[in-house]
Amino acid sequence: MLLRAAIVLLTIGVLFAVFCLVPPAEGLGYYVRLAFFHIPVAWVAVLAFLMSAYYGVRYLSKQELLLDRLSAASIRLGFIFVLLATLSGALFSKLTWGAYWNWDPRQTTIFVLLLIYGAYLTLRSALSGADRARRARVCAVYALFSFLTVPFLVFIVPRLYFSLHPQPVLNAAGHIDMEPVMLATLLAALLDATCIYLYFLYRGVKELPAGGKRHE
Amino acid sequence: MHASTWAGVKLVFRKEAVSALRFRAAWAAMFMFALTTLACVSLALSGARLAAPLAAALLWVILFFASVAGADRVFAEEDTSGTLLALRVYGGAQAVLLGKMLYTFVLLLALGVFTVPLFLVFLDMTVASPLLLAMACVLGLAGVAAAGTLIAALTVGAAANSGLFAVLLLPVILPVFLPAISLTAAAFGAGEASLAYLGGLVLYDGILAVGASVLFDYLWYEE
Repeated sequence: MLLRAAIVLLTIGVLFAVFCLVPPAEGLGYYVRLAFFHIPVAWVAVLAFLMSAYYGVRYLSKQELLLDRLSAASIRLGFIFVLLATLSGALFSKLTWGAYWNWDPRQTTIFVLLLIYGAYLTLRSALSGADRARRARVCAVYALFSFLTVPFLVFIVPRLYFSLHPQPVLNAAGHIDMEPVMLATLLAALLDATCIYLYFLYRGVKELPAGGKRHE
Repeated sequence: MHASTWAGVKLVFRKEAVSALRFRAAWAAMFMFALTTLACVSLALSGARLAAPLAAALLWVILFFASVAGADRVFAEEDTSGTLLALRVYGGAQAVLLGKMLYTFVLLLALGVFTVPLFLVFLDMTVASPLLLAMACVLGLAGVAAAGTLIAALTVGAAANSGLFAVLLLPVILPVFLPAISLTAAAFGAGEASLAYLGGLVLYDGILAVGASVLFDYLWYEE
């Protein structure tokens, strides 16, 4: 209850900062407000994938169904966040570059992530008739196997293709190209999105029927 | 590789080859799929020339979906005939995976040998660098074989199996697909071939094969 109240307060604070404190950015104007939504949801979309792979590894070593449920719940939430990141990114792209979609490397990366999330959820529903242990094992293996694309998506694609996407906040040169109020708002928005993800992740798993015992 | 594992790989490969000769439906469907798609594309274009990058992308779309039509059957025969348990009892995980992966690779190479010359003839493409085209095809199809064998093991017993295989394979194979298309376009005369793409293909093929090998143990040795 206390945690939920804290998250709501943080969200209100972030919204206030985005609409009342953040100044218009050079070249972007007030469109920059969208970035305070887009960057946090994109971050959580990646974080959810990492968490799913992490719980997948732990499931394969411990065979506890609770870990499988955490991995699957992370993918379900990640799918929502990756959809929001894709839509907000496309809108931002239209407002700043003039087109919703042009297969920019960052758009490619987020779209492949969307495909992986979709593929995982399709696999899980296709195995709904199988026993839970097999479904858990198969899904964990796929989560880890698809994780092999991460080095390619994060490190290789942005270097192979020309990108219009702005540099990350912490860029290769090590400079933070942002005003202090913007940086503080962005960090708060990142914390807020992460808390919302973690809250729904653990609450969703807690509400499911018990089944965290090790298979015998 | 351990001698007994290598002996197992050869046995599994021979078993797959013998089964394929007895039951031709799987690979015949794959080859016919490639031929049908090629004919459709060629007819639709009515002799129009394609730019090299577009032709390269089209060739890999045909190769990918034709591969899917054959590679998804890797574990399906044992699953439907009920002999998967026997293979599990007598075959070690690595021998089964590598034997089937090797068989899939040979099958896909045959698909490439069949499809690429027909593609060049039907679409009237000239090849500036045949060696580069061959390397792109071999490395690209090796990646499909490495990933496809593990994905086929994942989809055993799943509902909507055939569509599922393509859905699961595509995101994983994209890091192979994109450099292979770029190299093929260069082989068709569109710009210079980048050695980074070639190196990346080799590296990612290796990563897929090692990843499949490590993860397959968890699927094979069920508790």
